[in-house]
Amino acid sequence: MSKQSQEKSKWGTSYGELVWREFSKSWLARFCLGFIFFLFAVAVFAPFLANDKPFAIRIDEQLHFPIFRNLKVSDYCIFLAAIFGYLQVLLIRRNHKRVDPSIRPAILWRQICINSSIVVIGTILILIFVPRRLDATDYKALIASGKATNAVFAPIPYGYDRTNLKLREQPPSRQHWLGTDDVGADVLCRLLHGSRISLSVGFVAVGISAVIGVIAGAILGYFGGKVDFIGMRVVEIMMAIPVFFLIITIVAFFPRSLLNIMIIIGITSWTSYARFIRAEFFKLRKQDFVQAAISLGLPLRSILFRHMLPNGIAPVLVNVTFGIAGAIFIEAALSFLGFGVAPPTPSWGQMLSLGVSTTGRFLWWLSLFPGLAIFLTVLAYNLVGESLRDAIDPKLRIQ
Amino acid sequence: MDNNETLLSVKDLSTYFFTEKNVIKAVQNVSFSMEKGRTFALVGESGCGKSVTALSIMRLVSEPQGKIVSGEIIFQGNNLLTLSEKRMRKVRGNEIAMIFQEPMTSLNPVYTVGNQIAEAITLHQKKGISEAWADAVEMLKKVGISDPQQRAREYPHQMSGGMQQRVMIAMAISCQPGLLIADEPTTALDVTLQAQILDLLDELQKQTGMSILLITHDLGIVAQRAEDVAVMYASRIVEVADTQRLFKEPLHPYTQGLLKSLLRLGFEGKRLHTISGNVPDPLHFPTGCKFHPRCQTGCNDKKCQSAEPKLREVQPGRSVACWYAKGYPQ
Repeated sequence: MSKQSQEKSKWGTSYGELVWREFSKSWLARFCLGFIFFLFAVAVFAPFLANDKPFAIRIDEQLHFPIFRNLKVSDYCIFLAAIFGYLQVLLIRRNHKRVDPSIRPAILWRQICINSSIVVIGTILILIFVPRRLDATDYKALIASGKATNAVFAPIPYGYDRTNLKLREQPPSRQHWLGTDDVGADVLCRLLHGSRISLSVGFVAVGISAVIGVIAGAILGYFGGKVDFIGMRVVEIMMAIPVFFLIITIVAFFPRSLLNIMIIIGITSWTSYARFIRAEFFKLRKQDFVQAAISLGLPLRSILFRHMLPNGIAPVLVNVTFGIAGAIFIEAALSFLGFGVAPPTPSWGQMLSLGVSTTGRFLWWLSLFPGLAIFLTVLAYNLVGESLRDAIDPKLRIQ
Repeated sequence: MDNNETLLSVKDLSTYFFTEKNVIKAVQNVSFSMEKGRTFALVGESGCGKSVTALSIMRLVSEPQGKIVSGEIIFQGNNLLTLSEKRMRKVRGNEIAMIFQEPMTSLNPVYTVGNQIAEAITLHQKKGISEAWADAVEMLKKVGISDPQQRAREYPHQMSGGMQQRVMIAMAISCQPGLLIADEPTTALDVTLQAQILDLLDELQKQTGMSILLITHDLGIVAQRAEDVAVMYASRIVEVADTQRLFKEPLHPYTQGLLKSLLRLGFEGKRLHTISGNVPDPLHFPTGCKFHPRCQTGCNDKKCQSAEPKLREVQPGRSVACWYAKGYPQ
């Protein structure tokens, strides 16, 4: 520990470290961040947590590993992205402690390039080489008939798309901890798999809108004048349209796919980011260090994105966390109304809509658990955003 | 040393700011020229247009409100005002560099100082990051920062104001510019640091042979450090001379007033001289000579009130803009 603090003082504390120190002072913030990481872990490992295929099974004296044979192409891609994403986070932490600041940006850039190219190449290889199999074997029937033995199942031994019409609309029991839905699929299993949809919608949609918003806002704020005048009118027109109804209208014209929903949410909600960045850039443009950067002859790209953006990104970062919560909410609402992803792909909003069955019965477990999942996720993101906003408080900057 | 080669000549430069209703004439018909390896001081009170002149030379006047409406800025044979933005970017930092008034806000808080210096070096001299970093450390050593290896890895907020200004200077001279524009480099620093920073600039000038355009309101600094002076008043240059002659025999009544109001050694008991009145509002400049409402020479007449005198040469290497200055062509 003493060695570590020595190293820190040796290289100085960066702004990011100051913010992190302030952020992690609050236990609630750490807890919520932990919860979000937990959700990510659940989403990534969902096929190993809930699957109707066993990890291992002995059929005719031969050992089989059906769960691995049944992983989908998308599962492999998610594992790959998760592994390298986590590796990158670890590398960034290591950079701050071990790597000399003189080469830190270069090293970071190289790491990101290597990691993302591995992910891209890996994804392409997976798409080419991993066969798309469909294993329709009912392993539980095999066990019941005595043909197979020594089966090791996942903690929740049901598939999210396995229907069992004999067990429709069952309340929570020892077999189905959170009950079953209208076609007899396990609710807990669908909840775990549904976290993938919610988290990816949040990240991808907000990623798209943040990138559009930051670039648009940077240009408006830096150039000002006519560019700004025209740009802001476009932003105002976008803001005058009720986004949710716009999304519903657009969704009606396009096939119901997750990607379409992400893109639509992304391209309709960039305006707030653009306005934040524009306001920050107006302020920053006149600052001495930006003038100094211009007077050193640095190119526009470097001035906008290297010198101005890191100093003006704070409100956007805070808003991104709220934006993710909002996107998750919009997706849930769309699915609830039946405009979201099509079944059997599980989505929390869609599960929620099954709470009132066609027979008119109120199935409380179908409303409560997905609703709770949406609520907790949105709450966690919002609390993280709040803490981040406090940590970025200008008081901290004067040090 | 007798290379009186002109490095920069500004001819008839006018920079205006356009607001919704008014036009603020920040710089009007400013002309001067600088020689290689010398220090040229631009003196004047706040708001007289010295900084805007400097920004105009760098073409940093913030558009769309600010605009250079006329003039030429010839730097090493090229008119900077007609260069494309891309060419201009190569001039900035590489051939003309600038240091600013406030060292505390002139460094980017999110990068280490070494990083900021190295960025300009990698850009202009096409060097790799490790080489540029070594150069940056060398520059920090040159500007008198102890333990430069260590300091290059620190962030601006970990340094004192004087040290930050040294870093700014290191950044500005990192690409060996021919001209360094110092916009009130010591105004934000205390007196002992002022002397250190100015000494440093002198020393660097001797080493590299660059010219310095020193913008200041402090006549004491001018007397010590500059070889040539231009005095600005209300967006125009009213007098240009070499320092010795200016201090010995000021020709313009404004310069005379400024020098009289300086505190001198042996000055006791009496009230310090002041120039009566206020700096004119740039929106409502007086007609004729802009200084005439405050002029105390007594020859203030119709001519002064109606026609503005141009900057004319009255002695070799000396120009003044006053109808009644000694030797002014009538």
